[in-house]
Amino acid sequence: MPDDFRTLLALLLVFVPLSLLSIAGGASLLADMEHQSVGVYGWTTPREFADLFAISRAAPGPGTMLAALIGWKAAGWAGAVTATVALYLPSSLLVYGTARLWGRWRGSVWHTAVERGLAPVAAGLLLSGGIAVMRVSPSGPAVWAAAIIATVVLLRWPRLHPLVLFAVGGALFGLATSW
Amino acid sequence: MTSFGGNTAAWLYHRIVQRRQWVTDAEFLAGMALGRIMPGPGGVNLTVQVGQRLRRSVGAVAAVVGLLSGPLVIVVALSAAYASLGWSPAVHAVLDGVAAAAIGLTFATGLKLLPSRSARLGPLAVTAATVLCIGVLRWPMLPVVLCLAPVSIGLALVQRRNA
Repeated sequence: MPDDFRTLLALLLVFVPLSLLSIAGGASLLADMEHQSVGVYGWTTPREFADLFAISRAAPGPGTMLAALIGWKAAGWAGAVTATVALYLPSSLLVYGTARLWGRWRGSVWHTAVERGLAPVAAGLLLSGGIAVMRVSPSGPAVWAAAIIATVVLLRWPRLHPLVLFAVGGALFGLATSW
Repeated sequence: MTSFGGNTAAWLYHRIVQRRQWVTDAEFLAGMALGRIMPGPGGVNLTVQVGQRLRRSVGAVAAVVGLLSGPLVIVVALSAAYASLGWSPAVHAVLDGVAAAAIGLTFATGLKLLPSRSARLGPLAVTAATVLCIGVLRWPMLPVVLCLAPVSIGLALVQRRNA
């Protein structure tokens, strides 16, 4: 068995079980990912793992892109794709099955009540997510103020494309530090 | 692909509900809550559900590939660049600015989806309780949602009976 293939197989073995364990987002997986890729398989050094984590947080996409980076370190592009598929496919299949079942009940009293009942919880989760990201931001008050301004702007002009706001925010902060 | 800093849901709302009107507010929120409770990242789970609703299995596969392939390429390119350049303070600052705008998008979406239009106190209290427990007190999300969701669903059933 060629070495590359063995590495890809190992990536599958590590990330497929994690997929089904990752309740409540990727953060709960972090400890195990670290253990496997640093301690067990040696795909990354501890230092590299910390750096990859920072990059996966800063970059676009769902937070669990860290898996792709570990795969990339271990076996290049094939590794990145393998790790991503391994981490996302099992949980996605489960959700797909649930969504299909769920669709059969459309229009029933229960379906409507569950949908209505989950809505306020979801709105609360969104707001909590914003608070959580704000809390870990290293720049503190400057980021908080900018976030509040961005909120007001978006509520006032809902049709505004968020990317415009992202670009303005990035440019302003970039300029502020180079002065 | 542009969902910076874990605000995938807010971004998806902007594109899927506001721009394309593929699903309703209620469907979106139910999908989001469900996606958070089940294993796997919430944003991906939500995308699977929207794709399934629109085009069955083909839709679900297309939606997830679309959601993940962009970031995958960017993130690997970034770490390759990082390996040769390292971080400069300016790069950090730009990322902070982008993050601030992204947080704004998350808040704006959450506020827009508040159950205020119906002017009912119950759902609003549920939202407030969720923010208090998870956002402020930082309790683990799963037990909080598993407690609050049944209460909220029961509330919706009672209101329906009274209406």
